[in-house]
Amino acid sequence: MKITPIIGLEVHVELNTTQKMFCSCSASHFHVAPNTHTCPVCLALPGALPVPNKTACLSCIKIGLALNCSITKTAIFERKNYFYPDLPKGYQITQLQTPFAVNGHIKIDGHTIRINRAHMEEDTGKSQHQPLDGQNVTLIDYNRSGVPLVEIVSEPDIDSSTLAKNYITQIQQIVRYLGVSDADIEKGSMRCEPTINLKIEKDGKIYHTPLVEIKNVASLTGAQNAIDYEIKRQSEEFNKTGQVKNSTNKTTRGFSADKGITFLQRLKEGSADYRYFPEPDIPPIAFSKSEIDQLKNTLPELPDQKTTRYQKDYDLSDYDSTRLCSDFSFTQSFEKVMGQSTDKDFAKFVANIFLGSLSAYLNESGQEIDSGKINPDYFSSVFTAQTDNKISFTVAKDILLQSYQTGQDPLKIAQDGGLMQVSDTGKLEDMVDKVLQDNPNAKADYQRNSNIIGFLVGQVMKLSAGSANPQLVRLILEKKLK
Amino acid sequence: MIDLASLTINQIRFSLLKKEFTATDLAKAYLARIKQIDPKIKAFITITETEALLQAQAIDDKITKGQKLGNLAGSCMAVKDIYLTKDIQTTAGSQLLKDYIPQYSSTIYQRLLNQDAIILGKTNTDTFAFGASTENSGFFTTKNPWNTAMVPGGSSGGSAAAQIGDLCTFALGTDTGGSIRQPASLCGVTGLKPTYGRNSRYGITAMASSFDAPGAFASNCQDLATVLSQTAGFDPFDATSSQIEVPNYANLLNKVSLKGLKIGLPKQYFEGVEPDVKARTEESIKIFEKQGAQIIPISLPNTNLGIDVYYVLVPCEISANMARYDGLRFGQSVKDSDNLVDLYFKTRGKFMEPELKRRILIGTYFLSSGYYDAYYLQASKVRTLIKQEFQQEFKKVDLMLAPVSPTTAWPIGQKVNDPLQMYLADVLTVPINVAGLPALSLPCGLDSKGLPVGLQLIGNYFTEDKLLSVGHQFQQITDFHLKKPKL
Repeated sequence: MKITPIIGLEVHVELNTTQKMFCSCSASHFHVAPNTHTCPVCLALPGALPVPNKTACLSCIKIGLALNCSITKTAIFERKNYFYPDLPKGYQITQLQTPFAVNGHIKIDGHTIRINRAHMEEDTGKSQHQPLDGQNVTLIDYNRSGVPLVEIVSEPDIDSSTLAKNYITQIQQIVRYLGVSDADIEKGSMRCEPTINLKIEKDGKIYHTPLVEIKNVASLTGAQNAIDYEIKRQSEEFNKTGQVKNSTNKTTRGFSADKGITFLQRLKEGSADYRYFPEPDIPPIAFSKSEIDQLKNTLPELPDQKTTRYQKDYDLSDYDSTRLCSDFSFTQSFEKVMGQSTDKDFAKFVANIFLGSLSAYLNESGQEIDSGKINPDYFSSVFTAQTDNKISFTVAKDILLQSYQTGQDPLKIAQDGGLMQVSDTGKLEDMVDKVLQDNPNAKADYQRNSNIIGFLVGQVMKLSAGSANPQLVRLILEKKLK
Repeated sequence: MIDLASLTINQIRFSLLKKEFTATDLAKAYLARIKQIDPKIKAFITITETEALLQAQAIDDKITKGQKLGNLAGSCMAVKDIYLTKDIQTTAGSQLLKDYIPQYSSTIYQRLLNQDAIILGKTNTDTFAFGASTENSGFFTTKNPWNTAMVPGGSSGGSAAAQIGDLCTFALGTDTGGSIRQPASLCGVTGLKPTYGRNSRYGITAMASSFDAPGAFASNCQDLATVLSQTAGFDPFDATSSQIEVPNYANLLNKVSLKGLKIGLPKQYFEGVEPDVKARTEESIKIFEKQGAQIIPISLPNTNLGIDVYYVLVPCEISANMARYDGLRFGQSVKDSDNLVDLYFKTRGKFMEPELKRRILIGTYFLSSGYYDAYYLQASKVRTLIKQEFQQEFKKVDLMLAPVSPTTAWPIGQKVNDPLQMYLADVLTVPINVAGLPALSLPCGLDSKGLPVGLQLIGNYFTEDKLLSVGHQFQQITDFHLKKPKL
């Protein structure tokens, strides 16, 4: 029995426009006093009409272009009718038949993932279920009502949870590179809904399990875990029931991050009827070819292009440049440090710090890099000190990290901590002697196998807390071991 | 004593400046007449005496201080109750919005206030403008001032009745399928449905968004021209409002010469109309002909599909537009609900009028999965055909002339239990909304029962200047528009 997961992703990206999608209210709603950013339009008062936000439409088209989509000549908005308290109009304005962007693709880890569409829509208000004066109530905050969203729909070209995660990360980076959204999954400005089923080859026959759409995925790891859980669940379910996909058995499942499981939310997704029809309040929107071409020409450098440029300009390895460029904020800080410099050794040095101690620290503490804490002068002074053998690379890594954390001058940290590289042969000889004393068989071992010297250099470095000049230590050791 | 029957917008402004009377005198005169006459015809849902007197006082203060007066200074308006008026109850003719006080005003109303017009009150309408007689109002039926046993037409029946009853200087209405032209015709007043997009829809409860055309009633074309010059024009709050420049219509009233004017008579619009309606229309045609107009028979074979297209597309848009009236956030709510869904169901069940429910049901059905292509999509295609057909015929003629309504006013109650019959009252006006064209309704005499007959002049897109000019010249040589009922 061979199992191939078939995964498609719907990714919602909340745009960072200053105004909402269809009115001039502020679009900011995170940690804002409830219902303070509202007006007749986003509250859907009688007689209010939507007027589309041009910046948001252009952002949607930019996303489409970055995902190699074709841009629709004349796009139209449609009404998606459903009744819910946080949807004040009783319909959502979205795009169905003719979205701004269609038929794109992106390449990830050697896979091509086709993009069905990138369309523009509006967000709903936020329902808050909570007790109030001893009663369970639902409070609604309309600050988010009408905030612009772009929905990016992939074709079901993803076959593993890892690829799904990398796809989401890539989309996240692209919109960040474009500067159209902060795409923060934890803050809800990026949301993803995987749809998944399995292709099962068994006894020479092919089966497809019923489609499942997963909701409430609130993190990247969550997406990966939800998909893994669902692959396991669907394959077990198939073994038990043999049930296969048909036009009526698509279901919606929620994901519980705590328990790491999905659970049934809604049966028969196929029966929902949203009665879409063209939004009569908004005329069709057409951008001329020259406007689109101009937009295309002004797109910022995207991850792939930046990676190639880093390799060319800074001579960075494929691995290092790809890692740096997979995080837009890293590239911003990296470029801040590099400034106008094209010194390849300096670039390599900076990349090693970024991808070494700094990224380890950020990962561990769950932080994003803060370019405000990156001081280009500190990087160049530490680099010079290292080139001049005043400090070791190990020390350079440590002090630059400490400097990032505290804002202190890294060379002062090195001096205060006695971490400046020791090239004073007298001091070094003392340390070498101490190590040789601790390893009485060293001389004999060295006669048999000269490679042992590496171990001894390491011991001296350890003793010096990284401050010894390793080349000098090696020379002294070689002399003493002869 | 001010003779309200003979006042026009320009005269009022002139009289104020010459201090013949004050704005307060005028507002008081209108309010007194409303108190005397309105109980008989019931044109108003709300009379805004306080606001009217405050606004009038403000205008009088301006005059005392020698400040510049707005173009409509002192003119008193009756506003259809689907226009949102800040701090003044706006019911849309429905129990659903009884006691609803809007937080903002519709663009058109605000533009008129900015020109120092005065609001006298909010007029009756079929619920959310769904109807042709005001009998679908959630409050009461307005009576035709010519014969109070008859309907005034609708949905803007309250405004038309107020206009002919001299209860206002001019009145605001909306025309989605004939709701200005038909009551204008049935009440014997002048009314204009502008091109779709000429007047902003912002702040007017939506009926069918791609059809709704706000407009006005007045005692003549000149006043209509003055009002339209102020209301028309791009509104940043309405994406469908046109950017096309607004001329000063009142300065263009003699722009078009009747001599040589090519008037098309679409033969389908003369089929099945009452003999008196036909006779009055033909007499008017003779008048135009006498002035040197060229009468050209034309054919609009898709006209009959207009009503079908209309009654598919309009309910579809209505079904979505009515979804915001959840009974929770504004308007009336039932007090005895068990939970949210129960509240929705009970509130909408109790306060929505039958016609409102009927149209939501029809629209929901047409948009449902499996029916969309057969109804909405098909109707949209026919809509395009109808537009093209008009464009084709406008290559031959300057404007078209037809009756407004196949009948004059009918007795209250006659069609109330036959919605299809009621829908057919709009058969000659609806195709113009389907195409989005402008059309003017002009009084052209009385039938044998003494009830007014109206004719409509249909123009090509954004030719309101031409329609008003032709209408004005017609009114210079006739007195149909001066005829008033005895009240």
